[in-house]
Amino acid sequence: MGRNNAFWFALPAVASLGLFLLYPFLDVLRFSTWDWSGLSEPRVVGLENYRDILRDPDFYNSLRITLIFGVMTLIPFVVLSILLALALDGQPYERPIKALLFLPGLVTLGGAAVAWYTLFSPEYGALASLIPVPRWDQSPFWALVLIMLFTIWRHIGYGVLVVSARLKAIPKALLEAAAVDGATPAQSFRFITLPLLRPAITFLVVIGTVLTLQGYTAVFLLTRGGPFGGTEVLGYYLYKTGFEAGRLGYAAALTVIILLLTLAFALAQARLLREEK
Amino acid sequence: MRWLGHLLVWTVAFLVALPFIWMAYAAFIPPEAVFSGNIFGQLGFSLANFEVLGREGFWEGFWGRLLFSVLLTGGVTLLQLTTGFLAAYAIKEGARLLPFFLVLLAIPVELLLVPLYGLLVGLKILDTIWALVLPFAASPFIVYLLFQGMRTVPEELLEAARIDGAGHRVLLTRILLPLLRPQLIAAGVLAFAAHWNLVLYPRIVAGSKELKTVQTWITDLQRQNPADWGPLSAAALAATLPLVIIYLLYERRIVETFEEGLKG
Repeated sequence: MGRNNAFWFALPAVASLGLFLLYPFLDVLRFSTWDWSGLSEPRVVGLENYRDILRDPDFYNSLRITLIFGVMTLIPFVVLSILLALALDGQPYERPIKALLFLPGLVTLGGAAVAWYTLFSPEYGALASLIPVPRWDQSPFWALVLIMLFTIWRHIGYGVLVVSARLKAIPKALLEAAAVDGATPAQSFRFITLPLLRPAITFLVVIGTVLTLQGYTAVFLLTRGGPFGGTEVLGYYLYKTGFEAGRLGYAAALTVIILLLTLAFALAQARLLREEK
Repeated sequence: MRWLGHLLVWTVAFLVALPFIWMAYAAFIPPEAVFSGNIFGQLGFSLANFEVLGREGFWEGFWGRLLFSVLLTGGVTLLQLTTGFLAAYAIKEGARLLPFFLVLLAIPVELLLVPLYGLLVGLKILDTIWALVLPFAASPFIVYLLFQGMRTVPEELLEAARIDGAGHRVLLTRILLPLLRPQLIAAGVLAFAAHWNLVLYPRIVAGSKELKTVQTWITDLQRQNPADWGPLSAAALAATLPLVIIYLLYERRIVETFEEGLKG
């Protein structure tokens, strides 16, 4: 049959992923014990980077901002995904609207950021000439709101898709039976639909947490961590120390810490949301 | 209750579409309207903003960067589809590699900037085109999507072809390639968008002028002239439109692919 030699067809993918994904993923541990700027000769410093991070007030500040941003983004994201999926379900315009909601996630990020910037900038923006726009260039809170809106804008289509796929798997007979037994729509939502949506919600919360803990592109494009470091999320702090301040060893140790944090959060959430029945 | 649902959907839909509508409008604003501050007062139509984009000379200006990015990302997409197609075939044929790719799927690529940079320095390909190509030669996500597609091909079909003396090459090119066309298209669009939307990575590993991607070019322009939105919007529109068109052509396929992926 000649089946065994089919293994070789996977070689290009396996070799390239091994070298450019798996190896760097493990190698980050080695870099994290270096004092290295990328240009200089690396100097081995052991666990010094980790010790410094745990004493670094900027790190804790960045962690705090990331957690605030995460809570601020995840709750409206999940709630909006559920509400939209429910409102869209079975409507004649379900398909085209879903297609539209999905679009921002695929289009050119830099271009999208330009559109947002020219529209919402309190100084130069088009909207500012019609209505007062909060000064997100001066207020860290409003800057976080802007990043939150941009993030939700980009991912809402995916969120709706996840909830919607789950919603369609709920047998209609179940809801009809509840209606026959005299349940109000609110009751059948609370006691039938919502519990059955739990896997989808868990999935969104875990994925969303991972993305907020690690994301930094929106911050880079819209606020660059400002104003006054108010939007310096962990991912952006990592980029800044590594590639603007040239402390690659320190940034590698930060990478390890962010990975561990992500893992801890995702596991805790998955467990919490599963057991809470 | 029902009208509340309609209201929510259409409000969100409008807000989601707003930046696109604005981008298309601002790209054609006459420059005088921007400087006089009267943006919505008189409707004007002008191509001046697009002319400004070509000013720096072709290859280092916007149009050259757009062409460079399309070729680069197009090439990377073809490469990913090829390696992914072959790997999916190997798994279909019995190579026990699916767990390997699924584990890799969980590795957050965005976080690997530092070790990847170190690796590129070690391989001496920093600031070359290879830094933008080789790390993206394969994608576990694409392998997974194409394998999902191949799972639906009945084994009897391949068995019958084999009895007729078909080798790997015939199975791959004559049978699986046409059958997997829809999955290849969806995977291709997603792979294209993923590479096209890299923002920080190209800036870090390939910063020189002749390697700048269109994303970097736009971000730089935004940094230099934040108030000059005419040309900014024109560049944003020209860089976004190709993706929007591809997406609209294959929208149904792409959304379905995501839905299938969710069923896992």
